[in-house]
Amino acid sequence: MDDQLLDLEAELRALRPRRPSPQLAKRIELDLSADQGPERVVTPMANEQKVFRWPWFGAALAAAAAVAVVATVGVLRWQDQAPSAESALVATLSVPTSMPAQVASTDPVAPASTYRPVRASNVLYDLKDEGVVYLDDRTPARQMRYRYLDTYTWKNPKNNASVKWSMPRDEVRVMPASLTMN
Amino acid sequence: MTLFRKRPKPKLMEAAHDLVSWKDWFEAYGPKLLLCARHWTRSLADAEDVVQEAFVRYWRHQRQLPGDPQALLITSVRRAALDLARRTDRRLQREEKANGGLEDRNEFFEPQPGDDAERRREIEGALQHLPPEQREVLVLKIWQELTFEQIAATLDISPNTAASRYRYALTALRKELKPLCHG
Repeated sequence: MDDQLLDLEAELRALRPRRPSPQLAKRIELDLSADQGPERVVTPMANEQKVFRWPWFGAALAAAAAVAVVATVGVLRWQDQAPSAESALVATLSVPTSMPAQVASTDPVAPASTYRPVRASNVLYDLKDEGVVYLDDRTPARQMRYRYLDTYTWKNPKNNASVKWSMPRDEVRVMPASLTMN
Repeated sequence: MTLFRKRPKPKLMEAAHDLVSWKDWFEAYGPKLLLCARHWTRSLADAEDVVQEAFVRYWRHQRQLPGDPQALLITSVRRAALDLARRTDRRLQREEKANGGLEDRNEFFEPQPGDDAERRREIEGALQHLPPEQREVLVLKIWQELTFEQIAATLDISPNTAASRYRYALTALRKELKPLCHG
């Protein structure tokens, strides 16, 4: 690079990025100090196709099945309740179809001490661009793999015992490839 | 069971983990993240929103993940900015801007004691005129101090492409800016 470009580089480096406003720091402080509630669910984008894949972690499936046996009655009670923000949130998350089958076969009469759902969250921990794919009509599209960790928590109000179930989940999204930033 | 491969911590990650308080971390990296976000969003308010979203998510859930935390945050900010752009009604934003939301559009840098405010504004204006793909590489190279390899990984381009865009950006800036008079 010639000297003029080097000088320009140095001049640019001397500039200090503007500090965020105090209000931004305050908002972050409020977010971090608040109780951890359900994470915002990533909403489907227009014109995209979603393909739900089974979790890639087979051992976690087995562990989750064991936990689900304990939480079975609580789940049944949850399904009987009026829809709430939390249950609606969880209802949008993909879960293995084997779980509802196990739940459905259990005695629907719940005992007095029962687990109730208290929290559902998902954390996006990896995002991978898997490149260009072609749809059935030969339209080019971009395939993105979102990797989440879904966590459900149930509590027994009688004795405050809780059950927490975490399950990794892959979500593959196929989006039109013509998106560009202006 | 281990979910992630263990990698040796790079120096930056160790330094970042020395900043135990989120406030320390935000003090150190917030301005750079905001500068990146400014170039990927349409307003200061949108930029602060994406920085908030990315930073809170990182601090709550991603600090323990392997990888360079700064690169992770930059990628998160960029994706949040892309999501925001797709969700936002662009026609509505243009109308709002026409009503006078321009007050912070060009102020990307802090005034420094003794600096030339006119020159700073000239540089800010010239940056705005760069093609977006050149501007984002320039911002990541100059102020985020990423290598071309790191920039390539963040933007999903080749290191050669990153280097080329960087050179084009500097050349374009040099053409647009008046030469500094020395002594």
